[in-house]
Amino acid sequence: MVTVDAPPIQPRAGRPRTRRPSQGSRTFNAVNAVILTAVVVLTLYPFVNILARSFSEEHYIRSGQVNLLPKGFNLTTYRTVLSDSTFWTNYGNTVLYTVVGTLISLVLTTCYAYVLSKKHLRGRTLLVGIAVFTLFFNGGIIPNYVLVSGLGLRNSLWAIVLPNAVSVFNLLVMKAFFESLPAELEEAAAVDGMGTYGILLRVVLPLSKAIIATMVLFYAVAYWNSWFSAFLYMDNTSLFPVTVYLRNLIAGATGGTNEGMASDTQLQIAANIKAVTVVLTVLPILLVYPFIQRYFVTGILLGAVKE
Amino acid sequence: MYNLSRRQVLSGAGAGAAALALAACGDGGGDDNSTKGPDLSANREGAMDKYAAGDQFKATQPLSFSIMMLSNAAYPYKADWLFFQELTKRTNVTLQATVVPGSDYNQKRSVMVSGGNAPMIIPKTYRPDEEQYIASGAILPVSDYTSLMPNFTDQVKKWKLEGDIDTMRQDDGKFYLLPGLHEDVWKDYSLAIRTDILQKLNLTIPKTWDDLLTVLRAMKAAYPDQYPFSDRWSVPPQPAGANALLSILGEAYGTWAGFSWNHTTWDPKAGKFVYTGAMDEYKKMLQYVNTMVSEKLLDPESFTQTDDNARQKFASGKSFVISCNAQTLANECRPDIAKIPGATVVKIPVPIGPIGSAKTGTRLESGLMISSKAKDSKNLVAMMQFVDWLFYSDAGKMFAKWGVQGTTYTGSIDDGSFKLASDVKFAGLNPTGTKNIQVEYGFFNGVFVYGGSTKLLNSQFPAEEKQFQDAMTARKTLPVPPPHPLDADEREQATLWEAGLKDTVAQQTVKFSLGQRPFGEWDSYVSELKAKNMQQEVDTVNKSYERYKKNHG
Repeated sequence: MVTVDAPPIQPRAGRPRTRRPSQGSRTFNAVNAVILTAVVVLTLYPFVNILARSFSEEHYIRSGQVNLLPKGFNLTTYRTVLSDSTFWTNYGNTVLYTVVGTLISLVLTTCYAYVLSKKHLRGRTLLVGIAVFTLFFNGGIIPNYVLVSGLGLRNSLWAIVLPNAVSVFNLLVMKAFFESLPAELEEAAAVDGMGTYGILLRVVLPLSKAIIATMVLFYAVAYWNSWFSAFLYMDNTSLFPVTVYLRNLIAGATGGTNEGMASDTQLQIAANIKAVTVVLTVLPILLVYPFIQRYFVTGILLGAVKE
Repeated sequence: MYNLSRRQVLSGAGAGAAALALAACGDGGGDDNSTKGPDLSANREGAMDKYAAGDQFKATQPLSFSIMMLSNAAYPYKADWLFFQELTKRTNVTLQATVVPGSDYNQKRSVMVSGGNAPMIIPKTYRPDEEQYIASGAILPVSDYTSLMPNFTDQVKKWKLEGDIDTMRQDDGKFYLLPGLHEDVWKDYSLAIRTDILQKLNLTIPKTWDDLLTVLRAMKAAYPDQYPFSDRWSVPPQPAGANALLSILGEAYGTWAGFSWNHTTWDPKAGKFVYTGAMDEYKKMLQYVNTMVSEKLLDPESFTQTDDNARQKFASGKSFVISCNAQTLANECRPDIAKIPGATVVKIPVPIGPIGSAKTGTRLESGLMISSKAKDSKNLVAMMQFVDWLFYSDAGKMFAKWGVQGTTYTGSIDDGSFKLASDVKFAGLNPTGTKNIQVEYGFFNGVFVYGGSTKLLNSQFPAEEKQFQDAMTARKTLPVPPPHPLDADEREQATLWEAGLKDTVAQQTVKFSLGQRPFGEWDSYVSELKAKNMQQEVDTVNKSYERYKKNHG
């Protein structure tokens, strides 16, 4: 059995580690800072602009006068959307679908990926093949619809969380991550008398927080933004997620489905409903992201590189 | 939960195939005179024994029909609307709604119909969307059942809509969509003109397209740096840009362009169809547009700019004329110019062109399909009677549109005393009301309101729009072209030809209009169309016209 030890840190001889940065590195830092600031501004500007629009008055939005700050502060659209009880029912649905969906997806993906990461598994190629096959081919909307209807899943939570429970992309990322864990760890655990589930739950998973956090983020965002399966399988307003609600609102406000004259309220809504929608749907994810973000990059990178 | 067993699927497929076979054999026998329609003795449960035009329908026992219910964002579906309560009270029918967000209604309809899960009544279907479901046998050939619909047949006869109905017939002589029926062609698009500028320059509202040239020239003389006319509705080009302008101008010249674009036009003198883009009338129309462009009366960007750009020009007083409809006039043009002191704008009656004081267009609107599952329902007859009452009887239309007399409205549309109740508002009517008739009560819902008499239609307009409608109603309505249904193969072939033809017509329409191509090259343009299978397209349409005439005429 091979033991893995971190290479001992050798104290360096010669110049001390702390020194004044050279001219070159200072220039580099300065240029770096400028470029990165520009990138930050470029990424932030659209969002700040959206935020400003969502609070602005119709007239200023139409004439393109809104930039970083709201003009003619106005809450009509927010008030209309937030005072609608359907909005809150649907927002609750979104939270429910996201939480349940993410949990199911996470459990299934972890189990599948862990199994696939074991090189000694017989039929491993076939199992990978089955997963990858679905990446390229699927039944299409109508057969899926007939299947889900036939299984009696329509108008239930399961129609949303079951059909797309395993994302093959996420599965492969996770499989690669598990493969990169040293096999010796698991062998040691086995020698100490742990069974397969013990190894997975007590050794592998605690070491996989980074990838799990990444998967939570991926799945949660996907469920949060998804509207199509809900739209397809739900026949009742009270079951829709908030994305379907807002999508319909946008279509109604901008599509001219409305005959005759609109009231001032409707004109105001038409002008900034998109901005309000973006703010309302993005907000929760935005609040969660900073807490998971530190795992995020590590998680993806760990999965990406194979030895 | 409705589960399809394998046997059900198979028997459904079998029935579909049998129906197809029957339809195929029934060549020439597509007589839908309906007196000898299908045997319905097993489908009469809940139906009225005697039900005639003008009667109030009431099912003899409580019935429930499933319906696909579009939920409009402006008035989202509510199960407790007065509409549904009152409907049950009057007809003994409860509607079970499958609620579909309006944003993606068509897609869900397709999936549900194709997946064999569609509700019985499928409203809000625009022609020719119904055609995609015919081959699979998923929807009912409603023309076989019109004998159960006395109000429908009565209205078709009274308003002489037989010709319009014929345009919906398929190759088998049947139609599969129950359309909204209008008493008269409804025109909405026209030009919005700044009336304060007209007054300032001592001009009157133009009555003809020639008058419009005079007005634009006078505006140009007074404001030489500006284009007096800058138009919208150019994105997406369909086929050419400035789609609303080309549409009303084309109709005034007796041809189809812009929004109204149609590859073939019926030539009553020759008794056959000709290619629209090669017609002499189309050329004359383009010459008119070219005159406007070359004298710098019409902004050349009219063919490419976004609506927002066109609106900004109008809003800032850089242009004085723009295409509009009742809705954009009130929601966009008026508010847009509110910042210009003294500015006023009206929608003028559509200017008159070479065809004279006439209008063209269909009197049919979108409508409803019935799922072919209804054939096996013991309530089929009652359902058709119900549909007939709600969608086609005067009382049903009035109810769906304006609700309950004494609650949501008073008076009657017949003697012009109609008025919304003081606390009820609709669009521009009764703006001080506190309750929106669509949001609070569920009336005037696009799912249930189609067509109707001119009087009923006019009841929804504010005074200004009513004037426009009166002017348009006074014009003669030209007959619609005869039916020429293509069969599936022809349809597919024609679609391929039409894609290439449409592109060429679109590009050259803009080029001729902008003067980038001289009219001396008209003949070579027509040969370009010929190279793109123009003649084959026209021949196919004429062949189907002859075939239909022989089989069903």
